Amino acid sequence: MSLSDLYTIPSSSSWFRWDEIHDEERRSLPEFFSGSAFSRNPRVYREYRDFIINRFREDPSRRLTFTEVRRSLVGDVGLLRKVFQFLDRWGLINFGVPGGESEEVGAGASAAVVVEDGAPAGVKVVPAASAAASERGTVGGGGGENGFRLPPLTSYRDVFIDEMPGKGPLCGNCGGDCDSGESKSSKGGYSMCTKCSEKKNNTEEKTTDDLKVNNHGDGNEDQVSNTWTDAESLLLLEAVLKHGDDWDLIAQHVRSKTKLECIAHLIHLPFGEHMLGPTSSKLDNRQPSSEVTQVKAAKSPVTELSEESIKAVGEQHIDTDEQEKAVDVSSPAHALKRRRFTSFSDATDSLMKQVALLSTVAGPQVAAAAAESAVAALCHENPCALKAFEIDQDEVAKFGSHIMKDELESELKVEGQDLKEHRKRVGMKELYPEKNFGAATFQIRASVATSIGAAAARAKLLADQEEREMELLMASIIEMQLKKIRSKMKHFQELELIMEKEYAQIQHLKESILEEWVRILQQAFHSGIPRWRDSGLPKFLPNANM
Amino acid sequence: MKFHPPNSSKVPIKFRLPTAENLVPIRLDIEVDGQRLKDAFTWNVNDPDSEVVNFAKRTVKDLKLPPSFITQITQSVQSQLAEFRSFEGQDMQNKEKIVALKLDLRVSNTVIRDQFLWDVSNLESDPEEFARTFCKDMNIGDPEVAPAIAVSIREQLYKIAVQNVSSAREYRMGKKGRRGLENVPNSKSGNGALDLVKLFGIKGSIVRKRKEWYLYEPIVDILSNEEVEALDAREERNSRLKKKLEEKEENL
Repeated sequence: MSLSDLYTIPSSSSWFRWDEIHDEERRSLPEFFSGSAFSRNPRVYREYRDFIINRFREDPSRRLTFTEVRRSLVGDVGLLRKVFQFLDRWGLINFGVPGGESEEVGAGASAAVVVEDGAPAGVKVVPAASAAASERGTVGGGGGENGFRLPPLTSYRDVFIDEMPGKGPLCGNCGGDCDSGESKSSKGGYSMCTKCSEKKNNTEEKTTDDLKVNNHGDGNEDQVSNTWTDAESLLLLEAVLKHGDDWDLIAQHVRSKTKLECIAHLIHLPFGEHMLGPTSSKLDNRQPSSEVTQVKAAKSPVTELSEESIKAVGEQHIDTDEQEKAVDVSSPAHALKRRRFTSFSDATDSLMKQVALLSTVAGPQVAAAAAESAVAALCHENPCALKAFEIDQDEVAKFGSHIMKDELESELKVEGQDLKEHRKRVGMKELYPEKNFGAATFQIRASVATSIGAAAARAKLLADQEEREMELLMASIIEMQLKKIRSKMKHFQELELIMEKEYAQIQHLKESILEEWVRILQQAFHSGIPRWRDSGLPKFLPNANM
Repeated sequence: MKFHPPNSSKVPIKFRLPTAENLVPIRLDIEVDGQRLKDAFTWNVNDPDSEVVNFAKRTVKDLKLPPSFITQITQSVQSQLAEFRSFEGQDMQNKEKIVALKLDLRVSNTVIRDQFLWDVSNLESDPEEFARTFCKDMNIGDPEVAPAIAVSIREQLYKIAVQNVSSAREYRMGKKGRRGLENVPNSKSGNGALDLVKLFGIKGSIVRKRKEWYLYEPIVDILSNEEVEALDAREERNSRLKKKLEEKEENL
């Protein structure tokens, strides 16, 4: 049966198939499968079931009633009611239609969505369109208690915009209740609990303008009034050029907008990225190597860094404390924006780029640990390498520890540099310690170590993935076996049914033969034949009686 | 594997209503000194008879009827229970049989007309639950409607059960003379019973023909108070007429 439309059913009912009868159905409605009555057999059950479900799906937004169904089906109403209730209980009909026995709340085909405060935790309100994305609406087949949990869509707000006001604040992302203290559901907007919004900020920048976190509440609440005038945009750009990443200062400069709005708007400007680009790359240079995790570092070619960084270092000497402070303040906001993973295909052939990228993927701690162990292993393997590494073994170790942002002070002492003002610069200096060692040698060694480490980390990832795939395959094998067994069971059950039917027929036949015998005997008596001369017949009777 | 004979439903059982609970439908229609009591309810046969008196007292008290009603109610209920009990212990044929039941009743302002199929061999059926579902589906708010529907169903099942007792008796008698025993129940219970082979066989379709839908569709009317009064008056007249006729017959 091919259905052009998709329907929403609860994930717990994903067993349902048009073309077969599931064990659950056999268990719940045994009267159809015991073969005890002529009017109750599996075929009749399937016709009942299919008719009722099809009937419901003619108009899924309307509640189908039993009284309506029994009008068009031939059969015992008690039995029909059982089938109907079974389908209703499993949500195969009347799912998501408001006003039922089950207090399920969902979305119908139309946009009429009812959001209730006391909706059961298991049921999430889901826009029908997105639910239909998966086949027959089963989302996450194994989903237990949680039912649907779909990623928030950009259209989410549009769908729920009318229903949200006045209702309890529900986090659009995780579905949980927001603490009103942390984040308020803004009027007609889309609210999130702070936990989610943090997460989301990291991963997704696009929806930043959809977010309205509490601290922008003093401004105009409506999305409509969030439009930026050209003058304001100009002010913003000016401020960005002047203050870099210090959003507090920028907001002050723009005045009419809050910090968040400024950030959001800048992101949306077509050239916003480039505006932030130079400043942030500089920032990266200045920050400890742990900041390499921010992909921006990978983006700005590391090979070019040497020149640029020298400049940067030079600038840093001149830089005032104010600039320092700016870095500190802006770094969280900056991190929010920068944290994005570019794909591997973006990377060019440069080894350094690869290293940076790989270590980004693996994470700073992993990369550091990998680098250390890689170096150690190399030394162990090859005495030459050992010799080579021996010289600056401690340096490499320091490099690794640097990645972890620790013990920066000691590093500074060893380097003997005069740039002790701030720990954030140490990474930079450490990467380019021109004064103590040849920059090139150190770079090459460091890069080799890190690349090996990163490669190891990546290998680990790949191994993990392989393992998962193996598990998946195993699971599918088991499932196939189960299916096989199930189909065998079904076959046997059918056989059993046939046997029982035949047994019934034989029984019936026996009875009628017995009846026939009695009748013949009676007729014989009536017609005056005194006795059976043939003694074989009466003997036969007891046999038939069995 | 269960190998009990699958046609066990053919084996006669002791008389009872073919429902999950063996509740007897009772109908009261009593008139004393110009006051009339009409009621219908179900009674559990297994309840002790002393309960009947208590019930009557209670009813009279609740409805503020004169005490002379107590004996009348008790008598009426007990005679109906006695009639039911007279069948108990007798064999009843319990062959698979699906019958069309009809509803045509009025409860205060609500008029209900309906027809549906009922498996009278299903000893697990539940008229009360059916009636509840009916009222919910049809949005009937009057709490008296559902019990009235259930009683009406039970009355019809009662009648059929009594028929089954007599057909079981005939079956036993028929063993002597008549041949073709299968024909006996068919000819006897031709009223309303459906041809199962035709409907549920391989060729049959369980989806009813569209033009027959209206026959099996419930009709619920809500009457206005004037209409109810008119109907009441007419019924009153009819019952009085009937009474007079009966009295005449008795006099003759």
